[in-house]
Amino acid sequence: MKITVKLIGPFVQLFGFSEKELDVPAGTTADGLIDLVSIDRSRPKIVTRNGRAVVPDEALAEGDRVVISPIYSGG
Amino acid sequence: MNGWTGQILRVNLTAKTYKTETFSEEFARKWIGGRGFAVKILYDELAPGIDPLGPDNKFIVALGPIAGIPAPNTGKAVVAGKSPSTGGYGDGNLGTRVAEQLRKAGYDALVVEGRAAGPTMLYIEDGKVEFLPADAVWGKGTYETNDWIYARYGKGVGVLNIGQAGENLVRYAVVRSLEGRAGGRTGMGAVMGSKLLKAVVVKGTKPIPQADPAGMKKVGTDDLREVHKIDKEQGWSIQSTNGVLAWCNEVAALPVRNFRKTHHPDAWKVDGERLNDARIATYGCPNCTMRCGITIHDQEGRESELDYENIGLLGPNLEIFDLPAVGSLNYLCDDYGIDTMSGGCVLSFYADAIDRGAVAGSYGFGDVPGSKRLLGEIALRSTDIGNVLAEGSMRAARKFGRGSIDYAMQVKGLEVAAYNCKFIPGMALAFGVSPIGAHHKESWVITFELKQSVRESYGPEKAQKVIDLQRIRGGLFEYIVACRFPWIEVGWSLENYPKYFKLVSGLDWTLDDFWTISDRIYSMIKLFWLREYPQTDRKLDYPPAVWFDPANVDTEGPIAGKHLEYDKYDGLLQHYYDLRGYDRRGIPTKATLERLGVAEEGRAAEKFGKLS
Repeated sequence: MKITVKLIGPFVQLFGFSEKELDVPAGTTADGLIDLVSIDRSRPKIVTRNGRAVVPDEALAEGDRVVISPIYSGG
Repeated sequence: MNGWTGQILRVNLTAKTYKTETFSEEFARKWIGGRGFAVKILYDELAPGIDPLGPDNKFIVALGPIAGIPAPNTGKAVVAGKSPSTGGYGDGNLGTRVAEQLRKAGYDALVVEGRAAGPTMLYIEDGKVEFLPADAVWGKGTYETNDWIYARYGKGVGVLNIGQAGENLVRYAVVRSLEGRAGGRTGMGAVMGSKLLKAVVVKGTKPIPQADPAGMKKVGTDDLREVHKIDKEQGWSIQSTNGVLAWCNEVAALPVRNFRKTHHPDAWKVDGERLNDARIATYGCPNCTMRCGITIHDQEGRESELDYENIGLLGPNLEIFDLPAVGSLNYLCDDYGIDTMSGGCVLSFYADAIDRGAVAGSYGFGDVPGSKRLLGEIALRSTDIGNVLAEGSMRAARKFGRGSIDYAMQVKGLEVAAYNCKFIPGMALAFGVSPIGAHHKESWVITFELKQSVRESYGPEKAQKVIDLQRIRGGLFEYIVACRFPWIEVGWSLENYPKYFKLVSGLDWTLDDFWTISDRIYSMIKLFWLREYPQTDRKLDYPPAVWFDPANVDTEGPIAGKHLEYDKYDGLLQHYYDLRGYDRRGIPTKATLERLGVAEEGRAAEKFGKLS
């Protein structure tokens, strides 16, 4: 299934892309996607799926837009 | 008294006199400094009902026990007075060499009273004060004023100054420093202007009293290096504060078109990646090793320093998605001394009001030349509409009528920062109960709301989180006086701050001790409100009505069809009051004031309004 991944803030520079479409196996979870894009699991972050926060074991679906961001604190 | 100079400099502009006053150790421990000193002094010395733009108001610069000492991000000062925008207690903080220089001059605070006979610059060097004419720069912008001061005294002095907006009493005029820093969006620039005080220049040469100066120097220097290292590893300052713009756009929290929309397909054009790409230089405050000030060339080729708040509110909020254009509007605000956040909200309100037929005009969203022109008309009050908009969105809405107050994006008269709370209940509460109007510096809960709670919740966990953050952001960092960024953005432990406090003062305090101070100061700000507005009620703590409007919902995206609900918001507000120990009006009860050690101040307020 096709998933769009968007990185936010310094993750863009640290992990080498801003946004890309990935073809991932059906049943891939949010945490599984983190591994696929090689982001350290221990790095504090907030992951959203179509604009709403997800839990790590939440299964993704075809066409999802997943955004991975550092935890900002609002300046 | 280690940790404090123990002295306040009091200057009277009317009489051209000054004196040094001492304060007790008890005062120091009870109020610590910064916002604590400011609210206590203003509460004790201002008669309720005075004109914030009259000679009876006072302009205060207040520092804290670690202000100006080499340690992570301590180059900050609090500026305070009765707010021309809200009529309540107002303040703000800004990065400035004044933090170090005023303390080295021997003072923890400066209190300016009265009104000068003509444009004046105060020059403070150690214990001496000069009242100097500032006619040469009256009517000039902050950049030219700053250059004029540097040409005279060199770049090592501490400088606070105002532009034309402050001179012309624009109610959201700020105080400027260091060619890129601004503070006091509650109108502290107008308070300076009302006193014909164009600038304050400070030079100090004395040591700052510390319990363990050698220990503080070593710890402070090591920690500055460590914060820099962590920032480099995490990469926060690559995009600085504007990294959050793309995220706000993804989660429907970006202000677009006077907060009517929460996201926009062109937002990427002004996001952190584009800002980093356009970067020509980076600036920071004194004692900062994670510098957040990214400058770009604006449309006129000038260097303009941008961050998230001013990009959000002068960009997408006006439907402008061009960084150099946003840079130009930001430059004009900085030069005139207009708060970029309120400036953006006032312009977006005006465009919205025209759209909805509340007022006639040719201005509209996306109009860059019109925005530039209007900022000038506001700063100079040179046209009828400029004069109206210089009063801020709340007062402009009262003039326009036709229900426009519902979409004047302000709370208590202060415009909201760049977070669209159309469906973020906890952040709407944070804006609502911020004690100085809708400022984001007090509390910011959006990531908590999405990650550790649920967005739909109006539960007590959100009210508690708002309080927790107020104690830290609006409390600790505003009275110890340091920048909150090392903690909030790169995870620098809060436990470092009691450590610094002990090194300078010798006092071994816990964070819980500090939270009591924070609560005390918040209670004092609420008492200040009660005196000014005896008929105060909980409606003052409501966010803008448009966020509750079913006709204003998103039609697509993550929060399609959602809006805040009045009964649920009111319940969340009550959770906040209950946890705080406030009554149903949002005023601390007598029992709360007693617990916080301010019962006497409460009795003073009872001459004006009842306590529960």
